[in-house]
Amino acid sequence: MVQAAPDATQLLTLRDITKRFGGVTALDNVDFYLSRGEIHALLGENGAGKSTLIKVLGGIHRPESGTIRIEGGPAHIRSVADANRNGIRIIHQELSLAPNLSIAENIYLGREPRGLAGLHRRRMIADAEALVDDLGLKEIGSVQTLVSQLSVAHRQLVEIARALSCQAKILVLDEPTSALSEAETEALFVTLRHLRSQGVGIIYISHRVEEISRLADRVTVLRDGRAVGTQPTSQIDRRELVRLMVGRDIAEHFRRPVCRRGKVALQVDNLTSPNIHGVSFDLLYGEVLGLAGLVGSGRSELARALFGIDVIEKGTIQVDGRTVSLRCPQDALANGLVMIPEDRTREGLVMTQSVAFNLALPWLKQWNTMCFPDMRKRREIVDRAVRNFGIRVDDPERGVETLSGGNQQKTLVARWMEERPKVLILDEPTRGVDVGAREEMFDIIGSLVESGMAVLLISSDLAEVMQISHRVALYRDGRILRTAKASDITLQEVMEQLTGAEVDENR
Amino acid sequence: MRTAKQLLPLLIAMAALLLLFGLWVPNFLHHENMLDLVQQISVNAIMAFGMTLVILIGGIDLSVGALLALVGTTTVYVLTRGGADAQSLSWMVLAILAGLCVAGGFGTFNGLCAAKTKMPPFIITLAMMLVARGAALRYNQGRPMHIPDHQTVFLALGNGRLFGAVPVPVVVMLVIFFLAAILLHRTRFGQHLYAIGGNREAARFTGIPIVRNEILVYVICSTLAGIAGLVHTSQLYSAEPASGVMFELNAIAASVVGGTSFTGGRGTMYGTLIGAILIGILDKGLNQAGIHFSSQYIVKGLVILSAVYLDVRRR
Repeated sequence: MVQAAPDATQLLTLRDITKRFGGVTALDNVDFYLSRGEIHALLGENGAGKSTLIKVLGGIHRPESGTIRIEGGPAHIRSVADANRNGIRIIHQELSLAPNLSIAENIYLGREPRGLAGLHRRRMIADAEALVDDLGLKEIGSVQTLVSQLSVAHRQLVEIARALSCQAKILVLDEPTSALSEAETEALFVTLRHLRSQGVGIIYISHRVEEISRLADRVTVLRDGRAVGTQPTSQIDRRELVRLMVGRDIAEHFRRPVCRRGKVALQVDNLTSPNIHGVSFDLLYGEVLGLAGLVGSGRSELARALFGIDVIEKGTIQVDGRTVSLRCPQDALANGLVMIPEDRTREGLVMTQSVAFNLALPWLKQWNTMCFPDMRKRREIVDRAVRNFGIRVDDPERGVETLSGGNQQKTLVARWMEERPKVLILDEPTRGVDVGAREEMFDIIGSLVESGMAVLLISSDLAEVMQISHRVALYRDGRILRTAKASDITLQEVMEQLTGAEVDENR
Repeated sequence: MRTAKQLLPLLIAMAALLLLFGLWVPNFLHHENMLDLVQQISVNAIMAFGMTLVILIGGIDLSVGALLALVGTTTVYVLTRGGADAQSLSWMVLAILAGLCVAGGFGTFNGLCAAKTKMPPFIITLAMMLVARGAALRYNQGRPMHIPDHQTVFLALGNGRLFGAVPVPVVVMLVIFFLAAILLHRTRFGQHLYAIGGNREAARFTGIPIVRNEILVYVICSTLAGIAGLVHTSQLYSAEPASGVMFELNAIAASVVGGTSFTGGRGTMYGTLIGAILIGILDKGLNQAGIHFSSQYIVKGLVILSAVYLDVRRR
């Protein structure tokens, strides 16, 4: 693929950027160029390294190697303040505005114009108005409105205004449209084009292929931490982009477990909640059903509803053909459902305690009756889990926080296997674990399924979902678009449907 | 083993303080003086055991000091009513139960608010502290209520000596310590508390009934404050509506000096007991050394601060 020529007068040049987290290489010799007055899209699957690259640029991560040049000169970016000084402004998915302050106050937060008697409020408001006009953002209304009263789209515009009031030369937007409606997206695009005409360089991160081909001048595709190509968007069609995103050789070691499909374990009909819109599916014993969706598609919400964490408005859930009511995790557990949550440290493990504490916690009733803890029984439960699931820890009484991500994840799964559940819901079981641990996790899933367990697998790594699942449910915006046998559908098709590339091509 | 290792610095600090005051104050280490010391700490220790449970799950209970006064006044109020029955033992039991019911009621309310609403426990219990104090001051126009001399059993609760040697408050304190240690360190409930305090979300995903446990913790804490109130009232020979001011802070101090983590999830009953003893030694030692009470406050504040600093740094 043709690389854009490295030009000394480029606005921004990233060369050979490498970043590792422990044993995981998140960025592998990535090159990236941005010109003045350009909208440059950064495209990639979940976990391809887009966010890491941006965090390197923004001074949040420090790369192991590589150079950053701005307007031809070397830039040393070691902190967010350094990045700001160099005219780099990043607008993250989680907006960083103070909701209790007005638009004007937010724009000038930390550098409020001062008069004789402290804050020069009048000048601040006048400046903010001038800025908003200048940027063509009149639609956000009076600059004295409280940010808490604004829509997400307008908050984003306020962030953009704030960035530009600091003389930003390089504006980075991380998935800005994930929470916007179509009309709002269109309005944002108008603003971005306006900024482009004023010479601002814009890096636009998205996995929505369709948006990128409409908005961006050039696109760089990242895959597994590598830049696999940069091209003008006018010279590349959407299918080609999708192919670049997913076109990896899927490793051979992902072995799909033998399918011994049994009876229906879990049947969900018309499940509805604020974020789920009438989802129906069934899950058989001895089967992995993969829920394939992009970040933000609401897959975790579905898992949480099934586990009794989030409230269900409508719909029925049947376990073994019996309708059950799941109003709290205790209900779900009593019906043989177990969920391994997405965020290990926040929702999964009690990090202040030992490995053994965490492993034995769900089985308290077995080893602690009244006030006679049976430490031998506890030890047996713990040892069984450590042995059967290959948790690498010399002494289970060691703090669970000392374990690696992979071993923590194994701990989290292993602790529910003292008495096997009927249905195992896995939300992102391989997030943040290294390659070896990932393989082990898939071996574990494989053996559980082969022993007859029903597994609902949620993962952002679509290749992974496709490889290990027997059936795949394509999930987007709280709906199942389609359920298919994994062998009947290609990764390319899945990606096209989930990114909306296919739909729009047919328009 | 792990617990013993964590407690070692506390035990060393205790020994050092005892040595210091032993050299400084004549007869400080005399057994009568020591017994007196343990008796003086028992009220604070009983409250601190309950406070430890609350802090362990990431909460706080500021209402216990005022509650101590309210339980005392309520009990003595009932005790002095009842006409001819008032002299009987069963009437005394009734009076004590009335006091403890008030405590349980406050605890249930605190727990319900903490578990079911988003109000922070600090504010809930701050408000209930005012309510309890106000309620206590409504008895007898806020003046002390004398316990009749014929209530020998009730008076023995704070002033008697078991087998003529061990002060009854110490016995009460040790029994409660024993029960609290079993509750926290040997039961499912205790394990649940560590899980909730360590990671509330994770506890929820594990299927631990958080609401029920949280309410129970506040009820236990208030009830222990109530028992402390009974002992304290008996020690004073009267119920003082204005008593117990700052007691909640002493209980928190004992708990925290004893290694209970303010962010929740860490702490032991053993630690809290030693924490209460440490603060007791400091109080009594400085007092007997003739240090002006104003300086006592300063020294105590700095000691608490450094104890917690060392504990935080060790982690």
